[in-house]
Amino acid sequence: MLELMLLSLGLSAAGAVLSLLLMRAPAAAKAAACTLGMGAAAASLASGVAAIGSPALLANLGGPVPFADLTVLFNPLAGLLVAVISVLALVAWLFGLSYFNEYYDKGVGALGCFMNLFVASMMMVILCDNAFWFLVFFELMSLTSYMLVIVEGDEKSFKGGFLYLVMAHIGFLMIAVSFFLMASACGSLEFAAFRATAFDPALATAAFALAFFGFGAKAGIVPFHSWLPQAHPAAPSNVSALMSGGMIKIGVFGIMKVCFDLLALSGGQLGWGVLVVVVGAVSSVLGVVYALGEHDLKSLLAYHSVENIGIILLGVGTGIVGWACGNLWLAGIGLMAGLYHLVNHAMFKGLLFLGAGSVLHATGTRNMETLGGLARLMPVTAVCFLAGSLAISAIPPLNGFVSEWFTYQALIGAAMAGGIGMRMVFAFAVVALAITGALAVTCFVKAFGVTFLGKPRSDAAKAAHEVPASMRLGMAALTATCAALGLGAAWFTPIMSGIAASVLAAPAMPAAAGTALVSLETVSVTSPLLIAVLLAVVVGACALARNAANRAHGLKVDPEPWACGYAPDVHMETLASTVAAGVRGFMGPLYGIREGVNSAGAAVAGVFGRAFEAGACGQGTAPAAPSREQRARVPLSESVMSVLRSVGAWFSRLEGGDFRTYIVYIVGALVFFLALIILVR
Amino acid sequence: MIELTVAVIQVLLLVLLAPLASGVTRKVRAKMHTRQGTSIFQDYYDLAKLWRRCEVQPGGAGLVSRAMPPIFLGTMVIIAAGLPLIARACPVPLLGDVITVLYLMALPRFMFSLAALDSAGSYTAVGGVRELLLGVLVEPALILTLMVLALACGSTNLGVMADSVASLAAYPPVAVVVAGVAFACACYVEMGKLPFDVAEAEQELQEGPLAEFSGPSLAMLKLGMSVKQLVVASLFVAVFLPFGAASVATPLGLAAGLVLFVAKLAFVMLAAAVIENAVMRVRYQYLGRYTWFVFGLAALSFVFLVIGI
Repeated sequence: MLELMLLSLGLSAAGAVLSLLLMRAPAAAKAAACTLGMGAAAASLASGVAAIGSPALLANLGGPVPFADLTVLFNPLAGLLVAVISVLALVAWLFGLSYFNEYYDKGVGALGCFMNLFVASMMMVILCDNAFWFLVFFELMSLTSYMLVIVEGDEKSFKGGFLYLVMAHIGFLMIAVSFFLMASACGSLEFAAFRATAFDPALATAAFALAFFGFGAKAGIVPFHSWLPQAHPAAPSNVSALMSGGMIKIGVFGIMKVCFDLLALSGGQLGWGVLVVVVGAVSSVLGVVYALGEHDLKSLLAYHSVENIGIILLGVGTGIVGWACGNLWLAGIGLMAGLYHLVNHAMFKGLLFLGAGSVLHATGTRNMETLGGLARLMPVTAVCFLAGSLAISAIPPLNGFVSEWFTYQALIGAAMAGGIGMRMVFAFAVVALAITGALAVTCFVKAFGVTFLGKPRSDAAKAAHEVPASMRLGMAALTATCAALGLGAAWFTPIMSGIAASVLAAPAMPAAAGTALVSLETVSVTSPLLIAVLLAVVVGACALARNAANRAHGLKVDPEPWACGYAPDVHMETLASTVAAGVRGFMGPLYGIREGVNSAGAAVAGVFGRAFEAGACGQGTAPAAPSREQRARVPLSESVMSVLRSVGAWFSRLEGGDFRTYIVYIVGALVFFLALIILVR
Repeated sequence: MIELTVAVIQVLLLVLLAPLASGVTRKVRAKMHTRQGTSIFQDYYDLAKLWRRCEVQPGGAGLVSRAMPPIFLGTMVIIAAGLPLIARACPVPLLGDVITVLYLMALPRFMFSLAALDSAGSYTAVGGVRELLLGVLVEPALILTLMVLALACGSTNLGVMADSVASLAAYPPVAVVVAGVAFACACYVEMGKLPFDVAEAEQELQEGPLAEFSGPSLAMLKLGMSVKQLVVASLFVAVFLPFGAASVATPLGLAAGLVLFVAKLAFVMLAAAVIENAVMRVRYQYLGRYTWFVFGLAALSFVFLVIGI
């Protein structure tokens, strides 16, 4: 399976190089990048699936630097992540075959190069078993995805991209400090040494907390979420799918890896689990509340990633609590719920972003207020988007329901097993999940209804057309996966249970029997398959009876809806803002929190921005920069914007082929690590 | 086999009784207004008449509007089949999980509101959005009370809960009683009665989504909404008033359970009808205050559970 993985990495590298070489011939560059990318994704998918069912494989690949060997660990958890990201990458490349046609004049060669490197670096982050290389590939992942965010080259994408870059580096710094804390205690950069050391509890807690918030910044937990709704929408839609479905999962993977693997001998602590559960609960509610306020389809989906990361963390946190208490069932079921939701979210969020990309492709806008009535013009996209909406709203029998069901059972089971304090925490989590569920239904009625139903509200929406075959195929594939993960849950659950068991190094908890899903400690069962069959039969019978009555007594079409006696007008239609206003009416205080978090985020970005600018002044590469005295009088917001422009322009030169700056950056990072390592030794 | 029969009987019972329950409610309202009122069988006549009418579809509407009435009724039927109504155990345990039932209820709500947006009418859509927001306000209280009961009974399965409550084994008792009161309030909201809704008032926005339906589709939807009221009331009866339901599935026990269940359901529906006609309408914006009260009760029951009284 390692050979397949190496083949995949080789294909990605070849795709990156070829796409760059063919920069002057956009069509050829796109074809090369997409085809080789699909080949790489297929190979890594095969290797990931093979790893899920195999014992862990540890291999030393040597490497160019003397102080850190490139060690890889291919265990079932890594296999799962590799498989999930491979599926998304495969579909994203397939989608790109048609979608990237719009990017011919925006440097599709560089786009294909960075996307190939991005996918390969994600794979390497998952597999690396050495702190140094882990950080190098983590950084590479952040940089390549940043390049993809700013590919549009407009102000908005520079702004979102810069915020992303700052947040990614704050996270990177925390992770690096966490790793070096552990490395200095055990004297090695190998993860194998970390996991063989029993750290001092205080040091272990510090390392865990730093890693949690560091990886959390990558995953998009509150309060580090503000970059998601700005950066994800700016990227091409299939890249958004890959970032929102795949990359942020690496944050969750990192949290699991540090807690269950690297700190395994130090023993989990109850407080860690409680921290994860509480942050998860807050993220899930705030994520969906803010999503409701968005009119930009892709920003809305990005906020939903914050929500779903929160739900995943509820499961993972419960797993940590169970692990710390020695409650094997709780640990197994909680972690399994988190892993299942991780897979599910990757699939339906990927699907929804591709759907949003199709809408963008067909109409040229992401603003829901000016869309409407697309279901008639783009039926395949509409059906796929509806399926994704039902899945993300956790409506049975689709896949979102399965993982949320297990999450609920784990939370209630944890409350059952715990004392007063635990009961309080988990009741809070259950209520948060309930509010999240109800709001998600509201939000996706809005997203689907306002975009696809009703009547077109602009000429662009009237002129929409169904998207090309490769884009439809990409969406259909993910729709089928969502249905399979829901209906076939009884067969997927034991696999997830097995992965959770391998993470915990404990026997697998039985969670499925026949076609039923089982929760042992809460004595309950459910079966999405049975629900699906019953729904098909009963709803089908009702529909047939109604249609028979229609045939017997007639069916007419009235062109206009009833508008209380007035002539219907397109301005009377319900818009996204109508729904948002209703929610705001009841949940006003929650929106207040966002203002605080956002201004804090902007302030942090501003500090970094000034630092960048000062550096640029020193080198004399920013001739138009005002002097320090002048700058002090410029309002903060303006100075931030000017910094964004200059830094964005600096980075965008890379798109034009100036790779010297990029190499300087990598060398700088290497020097930084070397210095740290010398300090550690 | 006997479980399957019980499930079918439950479905038939709720579907066939739903128009009667609605008719009786209207009669109670008329009497409280000192009016004569229509026959208690009026809803059956209405449905039969609608079923024979020609259907008029709004031009903008598509598959969602078309599929919604069957999905609404069908989902309610499936939920009715899984509840422990005439016996203490769930007839179909796979459908008897609390979370499964609550999330199944989200499916008709999702489609109902989506159909309201589908017809492109502003009047219908506002009603659909309100339906969703009411769900947001009441869902936390529903889940919290059921979590209290799940912790008191040691299971999230409705059948186990019913058995535990019926044999007075649920501990701590005060928490369970307070949870029962909170759940009753939450169910009342979910049933769509005054002051939260007027299920049959033509002038009310919440009924707006029905404006674009007609003929057999409207008949199916009206029946579905009546069945939903009975299903929600039955959910309350099943877990908090399971007394008298058959503990073992003997024909005699089931027959007694059936009679008692109908009596309990009739009592709950009558109580709801009386309350509905004794309260005033409130502006939609102020509903949050009422649902906060319900959530407060649910939180109180949880506090009682934690301190163990």
